[in-house]
Amino acid sequence: MPIVPLKFRESDDDLLLFADDAGGYFKSDSKFLHRYALGRLEPSDIRFLHDHGHGFEEIGDLAYSGFEHRFASRQYVPHELDYIILVPTLRCNLACGYCQVSRVNENTPGFDWDEKTIEAVLRFLGNLATRKIKIEFQGGEPLLRLDIIKRVRDYCRVKFEESEFVICTNLQDVSFEAWKLLEQPDVFTSTSLDSNPLTHQFQRTITAEKTNTFFKNLAAAVEKLGPGKVSALPTINPHNPPLPQSVIDTFLDFGIRSIYLRPVNYQGFARRKFDARASAKIWNQYHSSFIDALVELNWISDQPVEEYYFVHCLRRVLRAGHNGHVDLRNPNLVGYGYLVIDHDGELYPTDEARMVSRIGQFDLSMGDVHSGLSRDTVDAFNAEALNNFHPDCVHCPYQAFCGVDLVDDLSRYGRIDLPKHLTDFCQRHTYIFDKIFSMIYSDDPKVRKSLAIWSGSPRFDGSLAKVHR
Amino acid sequence: MISLSIQVEPFPIVEPLIVRLQESGTEARSQHDAVLLDIDGHRREYNFQGFSFVVRTPPDECIDGDVLLVLPGQTSAHRLIRASSHHNTLLVTEQCDQLCVMCSQPPKKYHTDLFDQFAVAAALAPQGAMIGISGGEPLLHKTRLFEMITKVAVERPDIRFHVLTNGQHLEPSDVETIFQLGRERILWGVPLYSANRNTHDRIVGKDGAFARLELGLVTLMRAGASVELRTVVLQQNWSDLPDLATFINTRLGFISVWALMQLERIGYGRMNWDSSFQDTSTEFEQIRRAVDIATARGIRTSLYNFPLCSVPPEYRDFAPSTISDWKRKYLEFCTDCGARGTCGGFFQWYSHNEGFAALGPL
Repeated sequence: MPIVPLKFRESDDDLLLFADDAGGYFKSDSKFLHRYALGRLEPSDIRFLHDHGHGFEEIGDLAYSGFEHRFASRQYVPHELDYIILVPTLRCNLACGYCQVSRVNENTPGFDWDEKTIEAVLRFLGNLATRKIKIEFQGGEPLLRLDIIKRVRDYCRVKFEESEFVICTNLQDVSFEAWKLLEQPDVFTSTSLDSNPLTHQFQRTITAEKTNTFFKNLAAAVEKLGPGKVSALPTINPHNPPLPQSVIDTFLDFGIRSIYLRPVNYQGFARRKFDARASAKIWNQYHSSFIDALVELNWISDQPVEEYYFVHCLRRVLRAGHNGHVDLRNPNLVGYGYLVIDHDGELYPTDEARMVSRIGQFDLSMGDVHSGLSRDTVDAFNAEALNNFHPDCVHCPYQAFCGVDLVDDLSRYGRIDLPKHLTDFCQRHTYIFDKIFSMIYSDDPKVRKSLAIWSGSPRFDGSLAKVHR
Repeated sequence: MISLSIQVEPFPIVEPLIVRLQESGTEARSQHDAVLLDIDGHRREYNFQGFSFVVRTPPDECIDGDVLLVLPGQTSAHRLIRASSHHNTLLVTEQCDQLCVMCSQPPKKYHTDLFDQFAVAAALAPQGAMIGISGGEPLLHKTRLFEMITKVAVERPDIRFHVLTNGQHLEPSDVETIFQLGRERILWGVPLYSANRNTHDRIVGKDGAFARLELGLVTLMRAGASVELRTVVLQQNWSDLPDLATFINTRLGFISVWALMQLERIGYGRMNWDSSFQDTSTEFEQIRRAVDIATARGIRTSLYNFPLCSVPPEYRDFAPSTISDWKRKYLEFCTDCGARGTCGGFFQWYSHNEGFAALGPL
């Protein structure tokens, strides 16, 4: 009976983790590895491998087809363009030390969409084939151009069967009119909440007065709009991180139970201020301690809390077809399902690509709203955006769960052909999957309770931690 | 219990006839429409193409829009489509090539081909209806079945079908037809009882059934079909359920839903009740594990025909109300139950003194 190729990695319990190209995994010992490598599998080995989807009897049988289906489901296929990120202005009323998105002062002229651009954006939206649209307003501070947000919103409500709007705002200066907008049922609010008031002030608001204003507005948003319509992201400086418990407490104070921890991004102008280039190791340590804190909390709390990205990665380990999040996909094809329209009308495949282009590292623009989409550059880029054949990745048992991020590689190293294991992306994801597997194979009831919550099942069954001996 | 037949006065036909009953004052929308003229007690008289067509039914019963199959010389017509119900099923044949221990509709030897009539009836169903196709084994008459579905699909693109099949007769050459009919058109309800081929074959009473079913499922996968995988929980497969969940994850990740089903006490299910019924109100562990494994793996899992009080609280969200309206009943203690509104209750033919031991109002 043919056995599919297996990759392996040592784990901290003297066993080896084995995984195949479709994301099937199990643990076994070095004796099994020798039998496998030397072609001396015993009948009990073959039975185990067959029962668990690592082998088949003939091409086209159910075991083979099921494997094919799982493999194929793990490959991301872009759908039609239905998610547009709009940057109507680059002006902002804050000057955060790490600002990733590049910004200019509130009173600087020439960084807003002019009338011609607004009309071109509406025309661009009008030519989309999709019936459902999601629009995300970023900046700068998009609430500085409430008039543009309203025009786009009114246009989309008529043009599309369903539309949804996300306003990414610093909630610093919210007028009566802006609140009215945020309260509408198809409008969602996304903001930054940097861990706790002290850190937030240090990294973002600088003065106590502005800090108070923000926290008052955030409380008002949660109260007026409900926690389900408000999301908040903490940006963490891994060199000086807040205590995990203080981050969790702050978010819980606002009823927010999904926390997406993000390290300061080494892109845009942030790179000038923070040394994030070699910070994977300390970030991983911090992230791990954060997950441990969540496990302790979930053990005693009846209202569970999650770290969004960790849960996403956990589900990618357990399931095929979990390709819904842009930060981790394979192939990571950009410029199709969503794109960014910048303050000057330029089109970019992602927000990060906009920053890489803006600081002159590499031009990843895809044309502009006036003359239309041009995908030549990103398509050349996309041709490399997969981990299937990368010499490091083909030996990695985490390959099926993982992805690639060439924009990140480009922004950090100025090139995309660095050996993957040397990249920040690989180091961070190798850690995450190590952590996930140490938890999957843990007997600790606290860990199992959190895994059950995060995987969406009432209990986390022991057979999800298969060991072949 | 809702009746699936209805009394009619003798009508002079030599071929089976499909009639849709329309309320009075409406226009006949097709040559099959009969428009109500008069109600007199149990007697309702319709105008059917200028002839008098008479139905006998209680005065308070709503039959507007119902589609009847009237057979020559018979005074009882089949209510093929009940317009007010979501549980309409066409029994297209009573022949079958399996002999399952829990079969609710034991097979018969002879077959009457009514596919042409069923095609007409389905095309008269209410907007957006989902129509069940059951048997016997419908795919024993695969060519006729596909003809019927294709015909309805052309006339009524809004109509969908839920085909219950043992999957024994699906072949690679069917991929194109199934693909053309479309993923949204048909939900295929296919039973699989165990990942152990011997156990499965024993339960369905046919050697080699598991192997053939595997090939049938490959056909559905390659055609991109929507599949509801159905596993009746029995004493015979009780300890196999967790392994079956693993099997589904590795082989059948394409399915739309995995339905774990309680036994229906009718047909062979009644005959084999003592040796087959698994009391899940006193012992839930294997279902618990199966649901946990499948859910963590992202496979939508559902418990069909389980009274809510037989399910532990944290698994009740997995147990929708699934017993068809015309087969459903509630027990005495259900009167005081706070969950009655969302609970599917019991089959009409459920017998409580031989059934679940640990039930009660929630």
